[in-house]
Amino acid sequence: MFKNEEMEINLGPQHPSTHGVLRVKLRLDGETIKHCRPMIGYLHRGIEKICENKTYFQGQVWTDRLDYCSAVANNLGWAEANEKLFGITVPRRAQYIRTLLNEFNRLASHLIWLATHALDIGAMTVFLYTFREREDILDINEAFCGSRLTTTAFRIGGLREDLPPGFEQLVRKFLAKFPACLEEYENLLSENRIWKKRTVGVAKLNAEDAIALGVTGPVLRAAGVPYDIRKAFPYAAYAEMDFEVPTRTEADTYARYLVRLEEMRQSSRIIQQCMDGLPEGPVMAKIPKILRAEVNEVYHATEAPKGEIGYYLVGEKGSTNPYRFHIRAPGFINLQSLPKMVEGSLLADIVAAIGTLDIVLGEIDR
Amino acid sequence: MNKFLKTLIPFDIAKGLAITGTHFAKVFLTANRRKVPLHVVSEYPEVPAKLQPRFRGRLTMLKDDAGEIKCVCCMACVKICPTQVISIEAGKKEGRKTKVPTRYDFEMERCIFCELCVESCGFDSIILNHQFELAVYNREDMSLSMDGQFQNMFGISPVAKFSVADEEK
Repeated sequence: MFKNEEMEINLGPQHPSTHGVLRVKLRLDGETIKHCRPMIGYLHRGIEKICENKTYFQGQVWTDRLDYCSAVANNLGWAEANEKLFGITVPRRAQYIRTLLNEFNRLASHLIWLATHALDIGAMTVFLYTFREREDILDINEAFCGSRLTTTAFRIGGLREDLPPGFEQLVRKFLAKFPACLEEYENLLSENRIWKKRTVGVAKLNAEDAIALGVTGPVLRAAGVPYDIRKAFPYAAYAEMDFEVPTRTEADTYARYLVRLEEMRQSSRIIQQCMDGLPEGPVMAKIPKILRAEVNEVYHATEAPKGEIGYYLVGEKGSTNPYRFHIRAPGFINLQSLPKMVEGSLLADIVAAIGTLDIVLGEIDR
Repeated sequence: MNKFLKTLIPFDIAKGLAITGTHFAKVFLTANRRKVPLHVVSEYPEVPAKLQPRFRGRLTMLKDDAGEIKCVCCMACVKICPTQVISIEAGKKEGRKTKVPTRYDFEMERCIFCELCVESCGFDSIILNHQFELAVYNREDMSLSMDGQFQNMFGISPVAKFSVADEEK
């Protein structure tokens, strides 16, 4: 009478809570997940191969389209990897402005993460509030580089233009109101019983597993490992900034939520320091019109909002485009921890697990 | 006991409701009285969109004071374009030392509005203007040239009435 049968279902690729075109193959016993495999590749555009056929200057526009929620962070990685390859030193003012925009981008990315993660779990109000602040950040993007989402913000060797007039007022206005907004999100979520029921103890990933899987970013820090590339291998102007790396030890969804909220606080601290200590000077280094590489290879890792984004570039002698280009996308590697997180738990928890990993399929499939 | 009371009385939910309630009351009560409204949504088609000065819109060719095309066909924009949307045919004109384009084609379908072409131009002969309403009914209308009937490289986009109103102010 009672048949003990396992059922196989597909979550996605057109499921609203999979954040894009992710398909998760699940084998269920009742409502318990026995087996879980994420299937990726629906958004593959071959960006690595395209960039091998473009010049070093042109490559940047493709990095906008990797993780479209944090385009500035991707731009920064690309620009710095190229500067490493060609041995270019960037002026100090440009470094500060890069840091500032990168931190704004971290805020924007975390805000969109909070919005969608809460929406997946069932809290709709937070979505509207976080998008209100994100709008201001996108306006700042637009004021600096003319575009809101696909920024193409930096250039190899520095910046295209200096800050526009009126930029500082925009930043100050945002910084003045942002702490109150963060408090609002905390009041809405942190103690809410439904939020806690859906997140506390859900999708656990302990430190050993996280390190073994190569997981980086807030997911690793929520497991108690204080690894942040901004502190470990400082780039841009992070060496001169005073900030903390928030960690938690619970390693569950709720801990990741707290870590990201604290990171937002630290980001606004960094922005404040950048704006206060902005040095004078040029914003562009002297670079040749056509960049031709020697036989050389570089790997440059930066801390994107989602984790470590690394660019691996191999230069070819006399060629204007890279011989080989590889991206270590944080989302791609973080997603591989999904089976470890959800196997053995209930079906409803996978929605929280996908949300907490903060994946963007643009960079996973590339 | 403390935990039991916490479960019984929904303080946490009341806290959240207080925030949404305050926001609702603030916006609702001051809807038509404040000069700077509290709500963030703008009534876009009626009120022109506010754009930042560096906004990247459609590619446009510029003419100098005498009405001559500034472009001298150096092909810098053709070379830098990541999606190869620009193609130029150079020609000559009497009474002008530099070359002048006889054809300047721009495929807007593939343009990603990165502004690398404008940056590469040493003669300031092209800009990205402030037009963002670029929808058309036919696919052919997306390919722009210097002498298009529907829209060309010099004029404004025929559907861009809102952003143009913003520019003229």
